[in-house]
Amino acid sequence: MVLADLGRRINAAVAQVTSSTTSVEEADIDTMLKEISRALLESDVNIKLVLKLRDSIKKKIVNDKTPGLNKKKLIQKTVFDELCALVDCEAQPYKPKKNQANVIMFVGLQGAGKTTTCTKLAVYYQKRNFKVGLVCADTFRAGAFDQLKQNATKARIPFFGSYTETDPVEVARIGVEKFKKQKFEIIIVDTSGRHRQEKELFKEMVEIGDAVKPQQTVMVLDGSIGQSAQQQAQAFKESSNFGAIILTKMDGEAKGGGAISAVAATKTPIIFIGTGEHTQDFETFFPKQFISKLLGIGDIQGLMEH
Amino acid sequence: PFSFLQNYIGGKTITNADITKTIELLNNHLIKKNVSPEIASKITLNIQKNLLGSKTRTWESVELTAKRSLAEELQKILTPNTSIDLLHEIQLKLNSKQKNPYVISIVGVNGVGKSTNLSKLAFWLLQNNLRVLICACDTFRSGAVEQLKTHVNNLKNLSIDEKIKNQIELFEGGYGGSDLVAKIAKSAINYAKENQFDVILMDTAGRRHNDARLMAPLQSFARAANPDKIIMVGEALVGTDSVQQARNFNKAFGADRTLDFFIISKCDTVGDLIGSMVNMVYATGIPILFVGIGQTYTDLRTLSVDWAVRMLMS
Ligand SMILES: Nc1nc2c(ncn2[C@@H]2O[C@H](COP(=O)(O)OP(=O)(O)OP(=O)(O)O)[C@@H](O)[C@H]2O)c(=O)[nH]1
Ligand SMILES: Nc1nc2c(ncn2[C@@H]2O[C@H](COP(=O)(O)OP(=O)(O)OP(=O)(O)O)[C@@H](O)[C@H]2O)c(=O)[nH]1
Ligand SMILES: [Mg+2]
Ligand SMILES: [Mg+2]
Repeated sequence: MVLADLGRRINAAVAQVTSSTTSVEEADIDTMLKEISRALLESDVNIKLVLKLRDSIKKKIVNDKTPGLNKKKLIQKTVFDELCALVDCEAQPYKPKKNQANVIMFVGLQGAGKTTTCTKLAVYYQKRNFKVGLVCADTFRAGAFDQLKQNATKARIPFFGSYTETDPVEVARIGVEKFKKQKFEIIIVDTSGRHRQEKELFKEMVEIGDAVKPQQTVMVLDGSIGQSAQQQAQAFKESSNFGAIILTKMDGEAKGGGAISAVAATKTPIIFIGTGEHTQDFETFFPKQFISKLLGIGDIQGLMEH
Repeated sequence: PFSFLQNYIGGKTITNADITKTIELLNNHLIKKNVSPEIASKITLNIQKNLLGSKTRTWESVELTAKRSLAEELQKILTPNTSIDLLHEIQLKLNSKQKNPYVISIVGVNGVGKSTNLSKLAFWLLQNNLRVLICACDTFRSGAVEQLKTHVNNLKNLSIDEKIKNQIELFEGGYGGSDLVAKIAKSAINYAKENQFDVILMDTAGRRHNDARLMAPLQSFARAANPDKIIMVGEALVGTDSVQQARNFNKAFGADRTLDFFIISKCDTVGDLIGSMVNMVYATGIPILFVGIGQTYTDLRTLSVDWAVRMLMS
């Protein structure tokens, strides 16, 4: 994953300053910040976030008058703290409970990977002994129901959809009701792709939400999304109040920085990443672990408690 | 947006530091628009030269020079230097003696809008009185064949004229591996010849541009289909990866074959952050045939370079 490369570059930049034998000059810090900024920008982190992060790190380091070795430690800690703040958020994702209906609704931009990821998540929960069903509430995209149906059939997941009903709100409502009656524990609702510029599409998303009352709404984000990530994610947050993000296509050279910006903008955690087109290409995501891996350090906790 | 340049008041000589500052601001401006840092630096290099040239002029002229240079540079990058008159080329081939159908293949990474924009192309060709055969060469992704089937039915039903209903058809061979893809492509060409179709539009499966296992079959596919045009669909949403996506697809067809055109999809989803088109064109020199601006058949447009430059400069 390219994020590892980002970690390496940031580490190298910090090491350059902190491992030199001479004392740290402001110019060194500027060089370090420049390299960190560049690495973040090349990973698609939103530029406003990057500039804010740069100023904030600089202010903390320059204002602090700690001399010598401690100064270097401070630099390291400050950079790590600020980066952590980017990807980590305190919000806890919803945990589905057994013996009750947990409705999970998927939302996101066109082509992000929602339909593919629905089945991946269904399989994930099925393996953990939940009774899982899939509902196709995408009545817009050509072939959407066939896509979900073929995926679900291959994975042996019960599914619901309609070739004739054109109102996604109706299909969603009927499908969820049906699965609830049959005591399904996880009911995943797939919806069509949409974007913030189309008010009608957002209205439809809200209506589907009202009809199925999801315990969890998940925004699916393409890992290679660029500078539009933040605005789109923010708009989805306002309309659908999603509580988790799943990042897809992280098997490519996707830099994931757009998603990091989405996390920062919406204070919503990433819970899974998709790493391929097949159902098994799916990994749980732990922000803390991820950051320490990203920065190439084992004991991030120790560092943070200094 | 460009107010940062307003700080410059006339009548001072430009120092190197000033130039560096201006270039950084221009760079950041481009990055904000979703131009990748790599491409942004390359673009602003020229502007730096222009600024150095204006050393003895006034501050005000620096502002103008910087802005004008950037706009000119973007205009130059986005203006195609080969013909993008596809209808004309199709007619040329159809008028020749062989009467072979004109073959267009659509390629690109996963989910960018290949199948949808292929259907928009079909609509456009139908409007220009051409008979279109759509060929389902995505034999991998679930529902890919049914997706095209639906589009073909929709396009047939757009007209009540029975004659027009015969203008479009789907050629498919179900799902399977890459051997099947080449076989379907070849059969489709024969079928089109026998049944007097003018244009074949071949959809292909989305693939990761950095996976050799997925990219290699593109070469054998291109050999089998021998397309007159290979069009890559790239999306406006993608970030810095757009550069590498374009480069890798451009060299996926062997030493003597490149892409012919881009279609940049989802331009309606990014507002003025349309930098990914700059990335793809700058990285390859391949021109943009159309931009996609929505999900319906009429949402396909020729790129107005003036509009694009205005968006990028705003
Ligand atoms: N390489 C890779 N491809 C993926 C991944 N997830 C999804 N895809 C592919 O991305 C493309 C789009 O996926 P879909 O699941 O159809 O996306 P969607 O969000 O449902 O699309 P719409 O419903 O049209 O908005 C398909 O070709 C998928 O196979 C992933 O993690 N890695
Ligand atoms: N807003 C918008 N959406 C688009 C545009 N073009 C395509 N889409 C949407 O993007 C999603 C994916 O489109 P597809 O045509 O299935 O993409 P694809 O590249 O064929 O996908 P795979 O075959 O799975 O790789 C669909 O929901 C389309 O409606 C566009 O110009 N604007
Ligand atoms: Mg879908
Ligand atoms: Mg397709």
